Amino acid sequence: MSAAVPVDSQAAMLQAVGVSIRFGGLKALTDFNLTVRQGDLLGLIGPNGAGKSTAFNVLTGVYQPTEGEVRVAGKKVNGWLPHEINHLGLARTFQNIRLFRALTALDNVKVACRAQGALHPPKRGRVAKAGTALRNYRDWWRALMLTPGFQAEERELTRQAEHLLEVMGLSHRRDEEAKNLPYGEQRRLEIARALGTKPRVLLLDEPAAGMNTREKADLMVLIRRLRDEFSLGVLVIEHDMKLVMGICETITVLDHGETIARGAPAAVRSDRKVIEAYLGDSYLESHGGAA
Amino acid sequence: MSQLLQHLINGLASGTIYALVALGYTMVYGVLKLINFAHGDVMMVGVYMGYASAFALGREAQRSLWGVVVIFAVAMGGCALLGFLIERFAYRPLREKPRLTALITAIGISFALSYGFQLDVSFDGPFDFSIAGRRGGSFDFHFDRLVLLPGASPRAFPEIIAPTEWFILGDRDVVLWNWQVISLLIAVSLMVALQFLVYRTRFGKAMRAVSWDHRTAALMGIPTDRIISLTFMLSSALAAGAGLLYAIKDTSVTPLMGLYVGLKAFVAAVIGGIGNVPGAVVGALLLGLVEEFVVGYAASTWRDAVAFGFLILVLLVKPGGLFGRVAAEKV
Amino acid sequence: MATPGATTLSDDTGPIPPALRGLLPVLLALPVLALAEWTLGASPFATYLLSVVGVNIILAVSLNIVNGMTGQFSIGHAGFMAVGAYIAGVTSLSLKEIGIPGVPVAVSDQLLFVEALLAGGVCAALCGFLVGLPSLRLRGDYLAIVTLGFGEIIRVFVQNTEAFGRALGLSGIPQYSSVAMVYFWVFLVVLVARRIAGSSHGRSLWAIREDEVAAEAMGVDTTGYKVRAFVISSFFAGIAGGLFAHFVPIINPGSFTFVKSMEIVVMVVLGGLGSTTGAIVAAIFLTLLPEGLRSLFGAMGAEGSLAQKVDQIRMPVYGVLLVVLMLARPQGLFGTRELWDVLPRWLPRKKKGLT
Repeated sequence: MSAAVPVDSQAAMLQAVGVSIRFGGLKALTDFNLTVRQGDLLGLIGPNGAGKSTAFNVLTGVYQPTEGEVRVAGKKVNGWLPHEINHLGLARTFQNIRLFRALTALDNVKVACRAQGALHPPKRGRVAKAGTALRNYRDWWRALMLTPGFQAEERELTRQAEHLLEVMGLSHRRDEEAKNLPYGEQRRLEIARALGTKPRVLLLDEPAAGMNTREKADLMVLIRRLRDEFSLGVLVIEHDMKLVMGICETITVLDHGETIARGAPAAVRSDRKVIEAYLGDSYLESHGGAA
Repeated sequence: MSQLLQHLINGLASGTIYALVALGYTMVYGVLKLINFAHGDVMMVGVYMGYASAFALGREAQRSLWGVVVIFAVAMGGCALLGFLIERFAYRPLREKPRLTALITAIGISFALSYGFQLDVSFDGPFDFSIAGRRGGSFDFHFDRLVLLPGASPRAFPEIIAPTEWFILGDRDVVLWNWQVISLLIAVSLMVALQFLVYRTRFGKAMRAVSWDHRTAALMGIPTDRIISLTFMLSSALAAGAGLLYAIKDTSVTPLMGLYVGLKAFVAAVIGGIGNVPGAVVGALLLGLVEEFVVGYAASTWRDAVAFGFLILVLLVKPGGLFGRVAAEKV
Repeated sequence: MATPGATTLSDDTGPIPPALRGLLPVLLALPVLALAEWTLGASPFATYLLSVVGVNIILAVSLNIVNGMTGQFSIGHAGFMAVGAYIAGVTSLSLKEIGIPGVPVAVSDQLLFVEALLAGGVCAALCGFLVGLPSLRLRGDYLAIVTLGFGEIIRVFVQNTEAFGRALGLSGIPQYSSVAMVYFWVFLVVLVARRIAGSSHGRSLWAIREDEVAAEAMGVDTTGYKVRAFVISSFFAGIAGGLFAHFVPIINPGSFTFVKSMEIVVMVVLGGLGSTTGAIVAAIFLTLLPEGLRSLFGAMGAEGSLAQKVDQIRMPVYGVLLVVLMLARPQGLFGTRELWDVLPRWLPRKKKGLT
């Protein structure tokens, strides 16, 4: 099933159109379509190996699509590097937490704040790139000479990062090394770091993995709050059905790289194909239809 | 035209030797994702082992067929042991550490070997010992000096394969030496054996599994440590064989030969796409040819720069090497 | 933070006008250097030894920017040093007879010296850019090989170029160098390294060292940062080479081999990858140790061969030292911390900074 994607690049912050990706003979993702608008809260689910993380990686530029195109903020970003795509307003977290382990919580967020696109909006093309490169060297020079402008920038970064830590309830961990944080806080720090890049779309890769029920409930509230407070579009990969069904407005289900269902949580829950994918045909046979 | 043919022969001959060393790099990289910097130096140690055993055998015996076999066996066996020890005591403890630590260790071993062998450590003899033969007779050995570390000066490698011109075109326009053919044959048969080993045997299958993901392989009941040890032993033995062929060609042996031959072989492996067995062979043959042609048609003094210039060129155009692809890290 | 400059980040109401802050440490250092020159300038041996130590500190601290802070592994630093040495040497040789009109000879010489140094540094930086761009796009370990190869290419190039004296080397380069000049650059490289470490650029470099994929996803232009770090590091290696060329009687390709590169790598690893003060301490230690042993054996009247042995044994010992360090203490002496972080507790400590 590949639903027709409404082409409305004004509102669509992130769009995948007919994206396929092949590793050798293996089709990891087939004709994947998705649109994320501001204020959306979408879910991406599927059994293990269904291609969810592959989808994330192709959206963020880690992998290149074999077919189809990815658009971020209306720009076709096939062939762009992940950091360039990030500058257009797409930020992510990782399934297996990838913090800068030896850096303090504050510095983790500051790295992202520094790198945000507003300072040097991404440009393609040789001349523009050379200009960016020169500006970058000038930037280093400013840091070496400690110009007042540079110092003001540093203070502004610290302020932004501290604010984000506060939003994520991590202020008390400000100067602690990321690797020493408890698991749940590491996950939150990853989100704070992603927010540091001032995204318009936030991709969360299994944010609830390893959390207990209580933490999951908090996370659900938090994700909704972030969407509203930062005017984000959010796309969540999650295994925890309760969490996905609880917060997502639309859910896309992948199996073997193909989109097998899309719709509101209730509709997806009762979709025959989805149950088949998750529980196998035998379950359907013995229980005689949708649960 | 005949000049071209001659360069082609020489280039292929040195290319096959690079190929044998390059295979070692590629195999170890395949299973461990480690650039085994010390590989070339293990090769050098092997050549010295061969040198010592040729010396022990004496002038007559070293030229006989069995003598050559013994020399190769000692060098390859000794190197396999050395490779095993290096892996067991230097690399294995670091396997779960950041990749950089293993790389630095490898560089350290390379350095210790290539410069350690430049020290002069020897004991004045006489030393005598004999090995009793099965039928009453015995092999007697007599040495005046026991050399532990050989010192920096190059030593002439004995002509264990007496050089003969096997094929001459025109008035010595094109010469094909017997050792070129022999080394080509040895190299090709070792490569075929390796290809068979990797793709047709249980060991090869295990090796490929470890290369794919050594943690999962361990979970599937593959004795990962043993596979990695064996891979190191195999690659070290191959290197020793290649080193002997190189020494026969070059007629000399120095402590720094490992560094240079090793680096070029590594370059060859990268050019072919590191981790790729046929790629290493093709890369090595290409490198041998390019080097030979530059030396032949441009200037011989540039020889040592050719390999690296070629490497940078290939990396610019095709970052993953000719047959490899830049593997995206799993995220 | 370490540098006097960096501490001003937190207090913006200092007595010093902001425009001066950036240069203040330099202004403070100049009289100290003049004093050092005045007291030590008379002894040729002290001058030579201090100059060697200084050059090694510049090399180690600059290499640390790439190998330590960024987590890339370059082992061809001597190649960039060679570029700087030869370019600066040739520049000085060709300007030998020229004086800048209107200024005393000594001043004119020093100005020309600085110009030659900068020429060497800029050329080395350019080489760094050309070498770094293709290899830094790839996985870290390619850099090791490519930089090593670059060193070889430089050596072969010099050996084949008449203007660089081929294998014989360059001699007769005016001996402009002084302790003050060497330590001015030592001071500058340390300042630059610390300011980078304390700035947003430094944070991005640390981030690359910690997790390249995540850094890229967080909008850090990883290749760009790596190349820039590499260029700065090469620049200072070139400066070190230029200084070296102006206090040794002759430079030849043998001074800038793989051995020299390894020496610098050992210093950085021993000091702790990422620690600037660690690199300094290790550079001083590893430069003075062989010198000290040599003089000691010489003074004890031991056979001349024993003093020579020190040189021979140094290399294998470095190799073994690397292996032992990696197995026993992979973080080196200080890890990523600086000297003041590891000082005994009763000493006043700086606030814990980035690491």
